[in-house]
Amino acid sequence: MSDDRPSDALARLAERLDKARAQDSERPAGGSGDNAGQQQALGIGFRIGIEFVVAIVVATGLGWAFDRGLGTRPFATIVMFFLGVAAGMLSVYRAITGQSAAVGFRRPPAGSKPDVNRKD
Amino acid sequence: MALELHPLEQFKVEPLIPLHIAGLDVSYTNAALFMTVAVVLITMLLVLGTRRGALVPSRWQSVAEMSYEFVADMVETNAGHGAEPYFPFIFTLFMFVLSANLLGLIPYSFTVTSQIIVTFALAAAVFIGVTIIGFIKHGAHFLRLFVPEGVPIVLLLLLVPIEILSYFIRPFTLSIRLFANMLAGHTMLAIFGGFAASVGLLALLPVALDVAIYALEVLVAALQAYVFAILTCLYLRDALHMH
Repeated sequence: MSDDRPSDALARLAERLDKARAQDSERPAGGSGDNAGQQQALGIGFRIGIEFVVAIVVATGLGWAFDRGLGTRPFATIVMFFLGVAAGMLSVYRAITGQSAAVGFRRPPAGSKPDVNRKD
Repeated sequence: MALELHPLEQFKVEPLIPLHIAGLDVSYTNAALFMTVAVVLITMLLVLGTRRGALVPSRWQSVAEMSYEFVADMVETNAGHGAEPYFPFIFTLFMFVLSANLLGLIPYSFTVTSQIIVTFALAAAVFIGVTIIGFIKHGAHFLRLFVPEGVPIVLLLLLVPIEILSYFIRPFTLSIRLFANMLAGHTMLAIFGGFAASVGLLALLPVALDVAIYALEVLVAALQAYVFAILTCLYLRDALHMH
């Protein structure tokens, strides 16, 4: 193969890329941005569906186990149930406000929001 | 023919090569087989795909590069600085869950991620690992994670248990989310498939539904792998930065 083959191929690729970019910029702006936003929304939707239920079930189960172990039936179950409801609500609230799974009421620093900020 | 539906039969773990060592059942099961297939496929994709390393990538090379870049981007935006050493783990996790999910969609195959013990093992590894990293990086200061800032002491009595609880619930939500999505989707597919087999000419309707659900399941398979990986990143960010 001669030396100019790769650069030749590269030149052709650059030409094609330029053409594709020109075509792309003709499309209404925000198309891909919307898509990313939708993906993110979908991800959050699929995430929080189960969050609330699992928190309550796991907490109540833990409470039940405490009761069995300590013989305090039914108090641990009751307390843990309400704690589970609170924890579930908290995690759902955090997921939808973009604080995600961060424990604690601190807002994440700007720019580190959990989203798909594809640069190009 | 009577309706004979066994929508849950597909989730049965069956030993392929029975093996007992020191009283433990370590048989090579169909689940283990599909885990092996997943690992072999990922390794092949990445090793063969990047073997030539062409400047203008072939199809396989661009698939390998795209998945690498996708996860690298996810780790960078979600786990923040200092998370780079953990990229290989998150990449492995993402690729394993994704390929196990997608492999499960092939008819007659076995969905590894529909077994709660598999997803729980993955989630527990993430949870324990992240907790250890947090304690190594911050020492006892890591416990501050459970104490919200600027809250009156009386409220702390209530809030700290809630925070601790929501921290310990993480491995459960992480594993149950993936497991339940897979289980529900595949059960639904099997139920409509069973209808189609038993209603004769009317079968067209359930089959059409199955096609639609199948498309949805492909989306769910990819999305759940994404969610699993992104949550791992977020947990890691908590341990590394604590805000």
